Amino acid sequence: MNAPTEFPVMTPMPPMAVNWVGLWTIIRREFSRVMRVPIQAFLAPWISALLFIFIFGFVVGKRFPAIAGHRYIEFVLPGILMINIVNSAFLQSTSQIYFQRFLRYVEETLVAPLSYIEMIIGSLAMTIMRSVITAVGILLIGVVFRATSIDSIPGFLFWVVGVSVIFGLLGIVVGLWANNFEQLTMLNVFFITPLSMVGGVFNTVTMLPEWLRWLAWANPFFYFVNGLRHSMIGYSDGTYVVPIAVAVTLALVCALGGFVWRLFSVGYGLRE
Amino acid sequence: MTPAVCISHLTKVYRRGTVAVDDLSMTIQPGDFFGFLGPNGAGKSTTIHCMTGIAKPTSGKIEIFGVDAVKDYREARRLIGLSPQEFNVDTFAKVTQIIDWMGGYFGMRTAERKARTEMLIERFDLVSHAKKQFRDLSGGLKRRVILARALIHDPKLLILDEPTAGVDVELRRDLWRYLQELNRDGKTILLTSHYLEEVERLCRTIAIINDGKIVREGPKRDFMTGGGLEAAYLSATGAEPDHIAAGAA
Repeated sequence: MNAPTEFPVMTPMPPMAVNWVGLWTIIRREFSRVMRVPIQAFLAPWISALLFIFIFGFVVGKRFPAIAGHRYIEFVLPGILMINIVNSAFLQSTSQIYFQRFLRYVEETLVAPLSYIEMIIGSLAMTIMRSVITAVGILLIGVVFRATSIDSIPGFLFWVVGVSVIFGLLGIVVGLWANNFEQLTMLNVFFITPLSMVGGVFNTVTMLPEWLRWLAWANPFFYFVNGLRHSMIGYSDGTYVVPIAVAVTLALVCALGGFVWRLFSVGYGLRE
Repeated sequence: MTPAVCISHLTKVYRRGTVAVDDLSMTIQPGDFFGFLGPNGAGKSTTIHCMTGIAKPTSGKIEIFGVDAVKDYREARRLIGLSPQEFNVDTFAKVTQIIDWMGGYFGMRTAERKARTEMLIERFDLVSHAKKQFRDLSGGLKRRVILARALIHDPKLLILDEPTAGVDVELRRDLWRYLQELNRDGKTILLTSHYLEEVERLCRTIAIINDGKIVREGPKRDFMTGGGLEAAYLSATGAEPDHIAAGAA
């Protein structure tokens, strides 16, 4: 080691109502982590959206009749965008919590003067950022290829942020619970993917046989997809679907937010 | 004078029922160099984890410079720097990032953090490794990064959980000199180590923990009579000294 150096005089840290610098540092750390895998984080969903636009817009889409005056690609793209938002949010959130636990660097934040709320908000901030970047990228691709439009920018942002918060929180729960990589993917395989596929991405509720329509009405994805679709092309599966979607989204944010806060406060999966 | 650390009746029972720390009480005076000894699994790391927030105490009270480590955890944690036994680091992060982020978690502003990080990187001879990922470093270099990280916010209490494990002789001696300097400058240091020579050389006060309880505590000189620290340690932990074990064999 080098010869002793004078320690710079440290300014005493003031008592913090909110540790803003700490919060920002969590976001910086996660941004740096995401930027180690930009292809996986951003390019993959954009390429996948491009392929969907090609298939549904130019190959098979022309064979489908228009839905309420909208081309099939216009109808499908909001759902594809929603699937990508859900995947981005969930993967970002589970991986950041799980790797912190797996490599034990969660202890860096546990020994620091950070509150549970700051840790949760720090985790969610990068999740939202990743989802928004993914969503805006897909939207731009869609606009460039004339596959979609945007009816309401605030509405679009509400759905992107709201859904990414829900799946970010769900990802935190799974990240805290999982003890191996297998468990980490379980919710995605058995819950998120199947529900998103039958959540009105590719069809309206009236296209389903009558006896199966309850599956759409009981599926939260149906509301998310309809909400986003309404903000993009102004179409939804019924008059009350969008208000119900807003209520479902806000209720899930509150319920999951409270649950995650509780898990952090008891130290579940974090503290010994 | 307010003690640097005051632990009263600390008990930690893990979920599966293992009692890791059992009604432990101990006090560390400000400016002390305190050796915390005990066999593997005796409860040293658990005690440290309870002090720093990595573990939740089941019962008891911990005060750091008079601040309750559970109730006023934010204030208490700002006073502590921890160099843990195991590397708890994002192994893909660069050396500079690891140290800088830790300063950030502690609320240090950019300029202050940058100056301090540069100083510590230079002090620990990490300049040529600053841009390397943690996983690409040797064991000794990793240990230096962990120590630099623990010092980023200039804590009043430095907790070193086996800081020289896996470190070569040269670095160990450098490190000892550095820790002595820090201690001379007024930093309180809590050291756990399996190297009794290290404890003998550095510490002024020693406590021995066994099965979650403090079995002996006092100034170093009290441990140096009648066979030295090793004999005192073996006697306190109930292990057989070499000559008895050899005789039995």
